Amino acid sequence: MNTFRVTRTGTYLTVQDWGRFHYQHLGVSPSGIMDQRIPQALTKVIPHHQNQFLEFAYVGPSLKVEQGAIKVSVGGQCNIFVQKNNNTQIEHEPYTSINLFEGDEINIHNTIDSVYGYIAFENGLGLEPCLQSFSTDIKAQIGSINRPIQIGDEFKISEDVRSWDLQSNKEVNISKQTNFKVYPGPQLNYFSDEVLQTFISNPFSITTQSDRMGLRLEGEALKSHISHDILSEGILPGSIQVPSEGQLIILMRDIPCTGGYPKIAILASEDISKIAQLPPGTKITFDL
Amino acid sequence: MFFKEINHYGDLGLILDFGSDSSQQISQEVNAICALLQDLDLPQLNVIPSFNKIVLSFQNTKNRNQAQDIIERKLAKINLAKSQKDQKLWNIPSCYEDNYALDRELIQSVHGLTKEEVISKHTGVSYYAYYIGFMPGFPYLGDIDPSLITPRLTTPRIQIPARSIGIAKEHTCVYPKVSPGGWNIIGQVPFDIFNLEHSRTSLFLPGDTVQFQSVSEKEFQQIQSKHFGLDEIIKEFSK
Repeated sequence: MNTFRVTRTGTYLTVQDWGRFHYQHLGVSPSGIMDQRIPQALTKVIPHHQNQFLEFAYVGPSLKVEQGAIKVSVGGQCNIFVQKNNNTQIEHEPYTSINLFEGDEINIHNTIDSVYGYIAFENGLGLEPCLQSFSTDIKAQIGSINRPIQIGDEFKISEDVRSWDLQSNKEVNISKQTNFKVYPGPQLNYFSDEVLQTFISNPFSITTQSDRMGLRLEGEALKSHISHDILSEGILPGSIQVPSEGQLIILMRDIPCTGGYPKIAILASEDISKIAQLPPGTKITFDL
Repeated sequence: MFFKEINHYGDLGLILDFGSDSSQQISQEVNAICALLQDLDLPQLNVIPSFNKIVLSFQNTKNRNQAQDIIERKLAKINLAKSQKDQKLWNIPSCYEDNYALDRELIQSVHGLTKEEVISKHTGVSYYAYYIGFMPGFPYLGDIDPSLITPRLTTPRIQIPARSIGIAKEHTCVYPKVSPGGWNIIGQVPFDIFNLEHSRTSLFLPGDTVQFQSVSEKEFQQIQSKHFGLDEIIKEFSK
């Protein structure tokens, strides 16, 4: 058995995969990885990750191997240090494989000019799926682990690492983008041409009130000439909804299943990963 | 064709639009079409019904476009009457006593009703389950007696007790778990209505009929103490 323990959680540490599907009609959110580009890039380094990733926001965790050995790789822009059993410290690069043996502790520092980071584990984290997915939905308390990871949590990986050869993915190209071309939302016609002009010609700032459920933006208020209260209907990640005070909310992976605000636009699906990485204070613009 | 339009929703979604009205009949069509869509074996990730829309989501745009073709071809010549799935009829014990009914007195004073009148009006109607949303297993039931129609609380509660029965506008609901929320709480059911271990997962499904039956606090606690699982609840309280 190969065992590691969480010795420091960092922030918002959860287990995620590509999403929980086929249950949204029962009120269950898809959840899943916020920036899918990173685990995709990690797949080249750790191919047998079993779709069980740890996701953190802003500050990464520390993990200590208690028994046996594990192989991991960290993705995202962050500094990674391994405290070896013999008290030496080694720095590692993101998107390289890191072999950790009994007594070794990996410390992942804060994400630089970005939000989310990921850890992939060879042979996964030894978890059972919940409703066909490993993802954690904290609010609904659904997941293989139905809460954020806590200090002292222990993971047991029964399968041993196949090869200690070092791998790395040198092709990673995770660009930063702040202008987003969007599709018309289902209630585009709730907004006058003048309001739409404001929408595409003004910047909006990402605020600190942003999380896995949604990004709240701050900018010129957008008012509907019809209503800000619609009969609740199914919503998808990336939707840009406009509540009555006129400040935009972009719905992210832990989406509520239905919503009652008009949606002016929706992001291209691949842009959800990109916008998730923009820290609060970033100014973004839209193109319709 | 029952829905009025089928539109794109971003690059991965479709919306079947049944118009801007909402009624039990429209919802029955929505739920029947949802059942049909599930049977068409489309490559969808989710089918999300609501009062008068169905949203579908897909893995990629190619799947979405293929599904749209199939839906447009198949649903043009469908006989909806044949496609209704078996729905359950629920008779749910519920307690309207003070300990479980945070807002019952408010409802009484707003509408000038006695406690008994509120209870008899809420238990006097069999409700249609429009859809499940807001949180896992949360049913939108309706429509309630017009004399009970009440807006949401002006300030939503931070914590509503699990299993609480709420009313807001024309609808009534049951909160599966502790949750923030703005519905007026008038009672409680004595068992969990959402269970991850059970194949049905959610006690109520869209299209079900739900009738509440008032029980005394003592009866309520007796049922509560049995810790019924979903199978036992189905056996005891549904047809």
